[in-house]
Amino acid sequence: MGTEEGRKADSAKSFYPSEEEIERWMSNAFDMAKDALENGEVPVGCLMVYDDQVVGKGRNEVNETKNATRHAEMVALDQLRDWCRRGNLDASSVCERTALYVTVEPCIMCAAALRLLNIPVVVYGCRNERFGGCGSVLDVSSADLPQTGTTFKCVSGHRAEEAVEMLKTFYKQENPNAPKPKTRKE
Amino acid sequence: MEPQTKRWKGSVCDSDSWVAYPVLSDEQSQDVELIKAFAAPIVNKKETSRLLRELSTLYPLNGLQHIKRVRAVREKGSPHPLEVLVCLVSDAPDTKVINIDSLLPSDGVRRDGLGEPFVVKVPARPPLTRPQFELASKHWPTSFHEDKQVTVALRGELFSPPQKARMHMYMTSALTAAQAGKELGMEAVGAVVVDPATERIVAVGHDCRGDHPLHHAAMVCIDLVAQSQGGGRYSFDRYPACGFTSPTSDPFQSAPGSEASPQPYICTGYDLYVTREPCVMCAMALVHSRIGRVFYGTASADGAVGTRYKIHSQKDLNHHFEVYKGVLGKQCEDLNGLGHHIKRERVQQSR
Ligand SMILES: [Zn+2]
Ligand SMILES: [Zn+2]
Repeated sequence: MGTEEGRKADSAKSFYPSEEEIERWMSNAFDMAKDALENGEVPVGCLMVYDDQVVGKGRNEVNETKNATRHAEMVALDQLRDWCRRGNLDASSVCERTALYVTVEPCIMCAAALRLLNIPVVVYGCRNERFGGCGSVLDVSSADLPQTGTTFKCVSGHRAEEAVEMLKTFYKQENPNAPKPKTRKE
Repeated sequence: MEPQTKRWKGSVCDSDSWVAYPVLSDEQSQDVELIKAFAAPIVNKKETSRLLRELSTLYPLNGLQHIKRVRAVREKGSPHPLEVLVCLVSDAPDTKVINIDSLLPSDGVRRDGLGEPFVVKVPARPPLTRPQFELASKHWPTSFHEDKQVTVALRGELFSPPQKARMHMYMTSALTAAQAGKELGMEAVGAVVVDPATERIVAVGHDCRGDHPLHHAAMVCIDLVAQSQGGGRYSFDRYPACGFTSPTSDPFQSAPGSEASPQPYICTGYDLYVTREPCVMCAMALVHSRIGRVFYGTASADGAVGTRYKIHSQKDLNHHFEVYKGVLGKQCEDLNGLGHHIKRERVQQSR
């Protein structure tokens, strides 16, 4: 029991992606976002990495499900759970050692969901001025919310301008009158 | 699914046992902030309009348009009938001795008719609610553009007895669902989505997080609403207390491909009744889903529509909704005796 607790605390402390890992997985996430943009979808790329393998890969599926909560992160979290089920692994202990790589800051809802699943690290590209839950609108990632899982670390700003450009392009073609997403450098 | 409304017909509806109060924004519910100003008696009433004109040129009260410049003296037997605001203390010239001469430069305002200044406190912001207005007015006369609905809601009188009877019925369905979930080992939380235009229950759900850690009652209901519109992502078939009714009972509307009347779009215009205050995830999911109003029974420790955040009135977000709490509050609180315990513990910790 005591050793179990110790191991957990230990892994949370040491669990931090290296520069190479960030470079590699974010490049993967950006490819997904580009692909989404080319197919007229919200250009957000998102993947969950556990033990050096992709266990969830999400894209926004709000339109096809008519469920406004089906953001890329929520989709990826469900894929992670499916992956655990197939491999007969305990999803909650996998989550504790999984990093999320996403081109845009998770929204308030997704940030709270990541907490509820005890995801320890989120690496993201640009800020999300409209809905961001890691500081832009609210800081859910680090807030003192004892009933809402655990806080997570954020690594932000990786290829931020590129991520913003993709969003701008998308919103321009989506609705020429829509306000452009604000850009802000980290 | 059979809506559970039938069961409650004819039963004694004790909707007098609770009151639904609005959960207002921070701006609407915060204390009245006061700032210091110099006022002076108008000893000669005939000079009033000249003094007002000259003072507002010399010391315009920028951003304080809600404040009335002159007030009548309330005390009987006062030697002067009126008092005027000269300037904010922060706008006064920096002198050691404050008297009327130091406040008024010789060429700006003729001090005829003015007595010696004294410090008063005036409200820094326009009052948004009647309680704020009443507090502010105790300090200095203030104008108030009243939102009658907010005033009535704060008195707990917004909903008529027939409306309350329906709200009672909807929350009772949520309580029944919560109980069903609890018996399956889930957290005792239930929720119901209602279309207020037709007064029909669209979806009923309960917490299913034994199955999936994100399947809180509100999230379950959001997916059930999606299913009622031909979408959805999950199956809740194995939970008999979770279900939905399709919005189209009208034969003209249900014709395939018919676009005669607007189709329901996510939760636009719908009401959610939920036994306890939604968490951050659920509250933001309701923003994304464009919910119309949320009614909850009892607060929760990390609640995001009143307790820890007010996501329904959060600035910068593109959708806001009304929130009312206290619907069947006692029954909702009794659902989870543990919740009460946690709340008490938190209060103690934070001291
Ligand atoms: Zn999101
Ligand atoms: Zn929730």
